[in-house]
Amino acid sequence: MKPQVPVSTSSAFFTISLILLCSLLLGSCGSSENNVSKGNRTGTLHWGNGTEPQSLDPHIATGVPEHKIIVALMEGLVLKDSKTLEPRPGVAESWEISDDGRVYTFHLRDNARWSNGDPHNAHDYVWSWWRALQPALGNLYAYMYFSIENAKEYYEGEISDFEQVGVKALDDLTLQVTLKNPTPYFLQLLDHYSLYPVHQATVEKFGTADQRGTRWTYEGNIVGNGAFQLRDWKINRRVVVERNPYYWNADNVRLNEIVYYPTENAITEERMFRAGQLHYSGTVPADKIATYQSNNDPALRIDPYLGVYFYRINVETPQLQDKRVRRALGMTIDRDQLTERILKAGQIPAYAITPPGTMGYYPESDLRFDPEAARQLLADAGYPNGEGFPSTEILYNTSEGHRKLAVAIQQMWKKHLNIDVTLLNQEWKVYLNSVSMKDYQIGRAGWIGDYVDPNNFLDMFLCNGGNNRTGWCNPAYDKLILEDAAEAETHEQRLAIFTQAEKMLLADMPVIPIYIYTSNNLVDPSVKNFSGNILNQPSFSEIYLESDNGGQQ
Amino acid sequence: MDDLQVMEEQGSSLWRDAWIKLSKNYLALFGLGVIVLLCIVSLLTPWIAPYGYEEQDLMLGATAPSLQHWLGTDIFGRDMLTRIMYGGRVSLMVGFIATAVALVIGVLWGAIAGFVGGRVDAVMMRIVDIMYALPFMIFIVLLMVVFGRNILLLFLAIGAVEWLTMARIVRSQVMSLRKQEFVEAAYSLGLSQWTIIRRHIIPNTLGPVIVYTTLTIPSVMLLEAFLSFLGLGIQPPESSWGLLINYGVETMEEYPWLLIFPGVTLSLTLFALNFLGDGLRDALDPRTSKD
Repeated sequence: MKPQVPVSTSSAFFTISLILLCSLLLGSCGSSENNVSKGNRTGTLHWGNGTEPQSLDPHIATGVPEHKIIVALMEGLVLKDSKTLEPRPGVAESWEISDDGRVYTFHLRDNARWSNGDPHNAHDYVWSWWRALQPALGNLYAYMYFSIENAKEYYEGEISDFEQVGVKALDDLTLQVTLKNPTPYFLQLLDHYSLYPVHQATVEKFGTADQRGTRWTYEGNIVGNGAFQLRDWKINRRVVVERNPYYWNADNVRLNEIVYYPTENAITEERMFRAGQLHYSGTVPADKIATYQSNNDPALRIDPYLGVYFYRINVETPQLQDKRVRRALGMTIDRDQLTERILKAGQIPAYAITPPGTMGYYPESDLRFDPEAARQLLADAGYPNGEGFPSTEILYNTSEGHRKLAVAIQQMWKKHLNIDVTLLNQEWKVYLNSVSMKDYQIGRAGWIGDYVDPNNFLDMFLCNGGNNRTGWCNPAYDKLILEDAAEAETHEQRLAIFTQAEKMLLADMPVIPIYIYTSNNLVDPSVKNFSGNILNQPSFSEIYLESDNGGQQ
Repeated sequence: MDDLQVMEEQGSSLWRDAWIKLSKNYLALFGLGVIVLLCIVSLLTPWIAPYGYEEQDLMLGATAPSLQHWLGTDIFGRDMLTRIMYGGRVSLMVGFIATAVALVIGVLWGAIAGFVGGRVDAVMMRIVDIMYALPFMIFIVLLMVVFGRNILLLFLAIGAVEWLTMARIVRSQVMSLRKQEFVEAAYSLGLSQWTIIRRHIIPNTLGPVIVYTTLTIPSVMLLEAFLSFLGLGIQPPESSWGLLINYGVETMEEYPWLLIFPGVTLSLTLFALNFLGDGLRDALDPRTSKD
């Protein structure tokens, strides 16, 4: 945006007529064929992806938008069934689990290939997992490996010999993984991008193995083992992936191309969807939901979603060091009003971090909306009626949904606690950076299940968990999650330990749970085999496009 | 003696003539009235606003205009009339302060470059060219990073990038005036350089400057909305007209009044400013003052 120089009215008139002319021309182009009907003809899926990906390196990325691209480019040993989420064969054709549940032996397909045609074998996994555990790489998801024997010790430098870590290639096509304890969710973990293999020769061509942000993930460089390969990546414009002919199951992949659009503004994305420019949009502006519902529009799909929306608190902030202050903040958010009046898509108020019903786990929480008690807590902490409480900042990534919630919460805190809160929004990549550098006071956050187990929500807050980012550390909590829960004999015992841990977390409140997500998707009726599962993870290798009425939308 | 008479006659007649002419131009008077009214309302807002600008009523939500809320409420149940009144304070302040900054820097820079000419002119205008070439967003973002997110600094930062065009316009005017016969005549009558600038050059550049100023104010108001949207300007719960429109666009199909009222207010202000600007230009044009 340059400063405009309206010199005279005639030139202004000229500009306006030029704009009108352009829009007429564009309009006539658009009316001939939109993305959706064209895509249905050519097998191109147009996917609204929300934001520009932070990185396509599976050992660096942590976000949902990145996930949607990486699952197309790469694949783990085991896949999840897109409907039931049960494990099904991926790169590994079959596997055996030892009787004590600790040793997994995977038999890899002999026809698995990298997208450049290189053979893909068990050694790739050993090397990739070694890479993911290099501290210098700064992999925030490194703790996903900690159920593997000695992985935590290796990552923390207690042992330096990777041979002792429980992963071995018995031969080219056999991979043996030894776990510390029987881990019920281990097979699900393998479908998470932090455990995906990367192509050693490509990574090393563009830098050392543990170097961040090298060019290996760029267009023309990246080599993956998934159903698709990267063809085009224009920053802030689009990411295009096309079929990978070397994919072991390439014959059954029906899409030819996926185009991802990084549209940060949900309003714009919804309009693109309505104009037939997108097959899919992952965010529906709250105020539009009622319109879709009253029109009985089949495109709107609201499904349960295993994810929680919460505020992280940087416990190193002086005024937020006292847990009574943090509890008071948590107790003055009226979650019922937020979900009913602002979010409006059936979200559930959250009083704990783990979504209720995750593997039969229902968290117990003493968190309530209680302004009276909250004021008392704040007074006990030395701020009677909010006096002397320094101005505090809520950080969120640019999005009108986050802004609305922050504005409402800002006012709730002002009203109930009489404290001043300012708002700061940052673009996704900047926001992720600020949060992981702990350069924030209160930060909006969301956590979507990577696998269906309470452990996925609770092990985020381990002392050295890469996604903790609050500065909160409680060794007793670490012990509960890493040792007691892992060694629990029965499912019930394990859940009881999680309950205890979660109470501990909520008592200190380094995070304020706000609501449990629902996944609100706009899916064009021509997209077939799109199954809404509670992780909202699409299976691009199964989706196909078929318009019901001859391509007309 | 002669000298004194000339000064008295011209000096008093320019402004008196201008006022007489302006008071015959009803559109300009209307513009002036609207702007004065808006300024008064903005000044008195804390006392006359019907509600608090951050007072939410989530259970009420977005409602259409009613007796309790003349212009309706937004999705947080906040009164739109109040929001527009408070928004006007910010928008008008941004408009006037940032434009004043641009005006002062631009006119001085342009007048000096144009009047002195030669090497000084070349250096000064190359500086303007360089500033033009800088991506303006990066420049403002840099200013905000260095000086922090302070609202007054935001005004100054916007002013500091908006003066470039003003400088160019004034310079070209001054250059063409410098060689005009009436300026030569003034020289030959023995007037000092400063008096010539004051009595002849500045009144003759006033027209384009005023028109450009009235056009700068709205563009500055929109710029502020844009910066606030990026998180660099005004942050909720405070607001400005630009931001209200921005939020209104998001829900214009569901809650049209959230867009219409701030939109109408801003358009009205811009019209008023343009009418006033046109009127002032006609009134202050020295070439028509002897009709």
